[in-house]
Amino acid sequence: MDNLLLIITGSWIALPLLVILICNLLDKKTGKSWALPAAIVVSIGQMITTGLGLLQLGLTKSGFINFTIFWNVNDFEEIARSAWASAFFSVDTLSLVVMFAIGMVSLISVLTAKKMNPDKALNFTNLLMVLIMGMNGLAMVADLFSLYVFLEITGVASFILIALYKDKKGLEGSFKYLIMSAMASAMILAGIAIMNAVTGGVTFSHISGLFASGSSLHTFHAISLVLLVAGIAIKAGLAPFHGWLPDAYESAPASVSVLLGGIVTKMAGVYAILRLAQDVFINAKGFNYSLLLLATVSIVYGAVAALKQKDFKRILAYSSISQIGYIVLGAVCGSPLGFIGAMLHFFNHATFKSTLFVNSAALESQVKTRNIEEMGGLAKQMPLTGTSSVLALLSTAGIPPLAGFWSKLLIIIAVWQTGHSLIAGIAVFASVFTLAYFLMIQRKVFYGPAEEKFAGVREVKGGLAVSQVMLSVITVVMGIIFPLVLLFFQTRGMI
Amino acid sequence: MNGLGFNTFIYLVIIPALAGIVILFLPKKERLIKSLLVFAATLFNLITAIRLFGLEETWHTKWGGLSNFGIDFALRTDRLSMFILLAVGAMAFLVAFYSFAFLRDKDYGKGFYFYYLITIAFVNGAVLANNLVLMLFFWEGLLVTLFGMLLLKGRHKYPTAVKALTLVGVSDLALMLGVGVTGFAAGTLMMDKITAIPVEGIAVLGFVMMMLGAIGKAGSMPFHSWIPDAADDAPLPFMAILPGALEKLLGIYLLVRICLPGTGLYEFLPHTPVSTVVMAIGALTIIFAVAMALIQKDFKRLLSYHAISQVGYMVLGIGTALPIGIVGGLFHMVNNAIYKSCLFLSAGAVERQTGTTDLKKISGLGAFMPVTMICFLVAALSISGFPPFNGFFSKELVFDAAMESGIIFYIAALLGAFMTAASFLKLGHAAFFGKPQLPEDKKVKEAPAAMLVPMIILAAACILFGVWNSLPLGQLIQPVLGDAMAGHNYAGWPHTPLLVIISIIVLILAIANHFFGVKRTGKGLGAVDHIHYAPGLHFIYNRAEERWFDPYEILMVISKFFAWIAYGIDRAIDWIYNGFFVWVANSVSKGLKEFNTGKQSQYVIWAVSGLLIVIFVFAVLVK
Repeated sequence: MDNLLLIITGSWIALPLLVILICNLLDKKTGKSWALPAAIVVSIGQMITTGLGLLQLGLTKSGFINFTIFWNVNDFEEIARSAWASAFFSVDTLSLVVMFAIGMVSLISVLTAKKMNPDKALNFTNLLMVLIMGMNGLAMVADLFSLYVFLEITGVASFILIALYKDKKGLEGSFKYLIMSAMASAMILAGIAIMNAVTGGVTFSHISGLFASGSSLHTFHAISLVLLVAGIAIKAGLAPFHGWLPDAYESAPASVSVLLGGIVTKMAGVYAILRLAQDVFINAKGFNYSLLLLATVSIVYGAVAALKQKDFKRILAYSSISQIGYIVLGAVCGSPLGFIGAMLHFFNHATFKSTLFVNSAALESQVKTRNIEEMGGLAKQMPLTGTSSVLALLSTAGIPPLAGFWSKLLIIIAVWQTGHSLIAGIAVFASVFTLAYFLMIQRKVFYGPAEEKFAGVREVKGGLAVSQVMLSVITVVMGIIFPLVLLFFQTRGMI
Repeated sequence: MNGLGFNTFIYLVIIPALAGIVILFLPKKERLIKSLLVFAATLFNLITAIRLFGLEETWHTKWGGLSNFGIDFALRTDRLSMFILLAVGAMAFLVAFYSFAFLRDKDYGKGFYFYYLITIAFVNGAVLANNLVLMLFFWEGLLVTLFGMLLLKGRHKYPTAVKALTLVGVSDLALMLGVGVTGFAAGTLMMDKITAIPVEGIAVLGFVMMMLGAIGKAGSMPFHSWIPDAADDAPLPFMAILPGALEKLLGIYLLVRICLPGTGLYEFLPHTPVSTVVMAIGALTIIFAVAMALIQKDFKRLLSYHAISQVGYMVLGIGTALPIGIVGGLFHMVNNAIYKSCLFLSAGAVERQTGTTDLKKISGLGAFMPVTMICFLVAALSISGFPPFNGFFSKELVFDAAMESGIIFYIAALLGAFMTAASFLKLGHAAFFGKPQLPEDKKVKEAPAAMLVPMIILAAACILFGVWNSLPLGQLIQPVLGDAMAGHNYAGWPHTPLLVIISIIVLILAIANHFFGVKRTGKGLGAVDHIHYAPGLHFIYNRAEERWFDPYEILMVISKFFAWIAYGIDRAIDWIYNGFFVWVANSVSKGLKEFNTGKQSQYVIWAVSGLLIVIFVFAVLVK
């Protein structure tokens, strides 16, 4: 059983690489035609295996599984103690939940990409596999340097994906992301280097021991933390580090937008914050306070800035900034409840934001525009897109009983309980704004007066339709069974 | 518990309710079956009430979670409730009998019977209930049937129905509050465990609220003004049974329950402020309602004002807290139920045979409808207080009590008696005597027997209860007071000759006034015009007809004022949300959009400023 688990966990890194090998070693034609199906297999496989992993965690009532991949060691604890051991992983509930989300969003992305021409399909699949591998690695890392490595892998793959068509807009967006990411990389790497120099190690368990509760902060620790916070904030797109985010989202191809908006930037930035806040810097006060501040600014900024946007995707991008703020808020407020809320909001956000990007892709393919001012009354012609977008928007705004309501509720309760009542109030207020601009979208795009020129518009079919149905079902079902999920996690000691 | 225990008295609630529900499911056309069912249910009700008479028992059971709050399902019968149940049973049976003929060609018969039977069930339940909350349940249920009955004639009757709902609802709300406070003050909700709570402190509120609930149900001021409107809008048997009889019986039942010396819920003594308040309400009700009745030109509307003013006598009598007053009030309640129903039924006969009750259109009906006329005359003489009819004896008892409590109340009651007599002289003269005048195309003949029989029975009862007043007084009413009677017996001829002489003088004055008026205007309908159009009074009457004094209208004006203020506040808040906030949010958002130029250098500058913020946070926290 243990060996099987190791194989499964290893496959999360190895399988994407294997797919790349197979698709590119075969002759061109076969490789191209196999590419997307292979990607689908990998995504579904990841959903199944992470689901099984969660079940396994629940059944054994253990909080985590440790393993290595590049070489086998008998004594994991020994390696954990030696600060220089590299590339060893740990899988806990958080990792499995986010990896499930990775599998899910990848699947949606591939389904959205189905109409892509075969040349691009192979490229896309290669990059997607790298991306999945990078994100899976991120989800499982147990030391700072590995974290940095997988961040870079994820980043590089996404730069290229944004500019997949080499059009002007894509290149521009990609370039902006690249520059900002480079800054972030420099900061993160410098931060890690300082941390290593001062503390003599980079593994999470080693560093977390140094930040005992109540002790004052060493100057070099502080410098290292500042660099890490700023770097990760850029990766996550927290305001005011967010500049690149709307441009990148807007300029990326539809299926890449789904990936970026649904999972990539969340993994690169938000997951890192979740992981560090939970396992490493839980007692490092400066870390928590600075991120709390940035998260609050993000929530408000994202909500307000989305109001006047005209481009569907840009609205979603600003909404992402706001939602990232909520997740970070839950992660760093310093209570276990907030962390649970953040983890589940992470998942819910992956669900509903992917839905919305798929909606945007559907609209773009049928109506040939993303400007919401030009659309109107489309719910009649596109009932599936309309309904799924309504569900996703309401989930985003936190309307019960949809999934988003529960996780947002947990976060706000946790923030209130930890004494940040002002921030909790702001979070609730911003939630109202979220509802406002999403209702605005609803009215303009789906329920307003029908435009003559859209009389011939038809509902989407195939991958887009399947994705919309699947994600809507997940949103609704998650909302209804949410208390049960929470109960399962809790009684099984998984959180 | 003998064979007539709980099993029997719960049937008083269950059987009418079941019959009502069955009627609801019968097809509209089955008139005969429905009539038979109503007949059977009301007859059963009457017979059960007769069989139970004299039984004094309590019965209670616990049910579910409610019992934890002291709300048991508890019933009891005693002298008072048996007496009321008997009266309810008799009236319900007679009016049901009358309705068969009256409703024959009306399409709302089914709905009427349904509400009618449910109403009887609820009234029985409220009288039987031994738990204040249980009583409240039945009591409030009556509000539903009241609303339903007022709507029977169609949707356009909504204003009247809503008016009744509002006014009765307010008094029911007062009762609810009163029940709460009473339960709190007594520490229990069981009525047989609550006796003579001293009216002081919080109990004053409980007393006043319960009293308002009781007299509100009876139709006293200030909860009265829906009754005249209902007279225009509701089916006539409704008027005869609810405002005419059952509501009085129920309201006065509760008032007596509260006020009865020795065994009542509250310690209610003569010559106390609360007693004076109750009497004042009674006196004002008499005067104002009868003054309005005096000038009415419609048969039913005139009667409806009397339905209000007669409550005043009952409230006044009971408000004196003297045994003689309470006996008089209860006796007047029974008498009023009899003659007022009889009057409404005769109005119904007129309406059915001529198609109108507008006195300007009809006169001299006596020649065509002699039996109706005779029944009307007997009832009218009773209500006016002519000896030896029943109204005379009960009124004399109330006069006696009022005289003892304060001459001002006596004068008010006497003034009421004068105007009552005057208005009925006018009504009788206009409708049944004088030159025959009929609506066109109408061949008027006597009403059908099914309608006449109840009227004849009621008219006979008027005479019986007058001539042989020791029957109701000795058997029904005086036992209710028990020891409080202190050996007195008020049966027979009134005990105070002076008051009788004054009363007769007042009646003679009323007759003289009538002849003066008739001579002045030349017709019966104008008999009181000299009062109506007297300087000063004319102005007040006009305002009253324009509903200036209608509590409901005043309430509406007040609520409109509040609504106006609330609307202003609402608009202001709405502006803050829909105007101000939106403006702020939009301008900020617009500014942010223009701020985001897409220049990479700018993004870097923001990021650096973010870095500075983070450094600042750390710098503050590390040091």
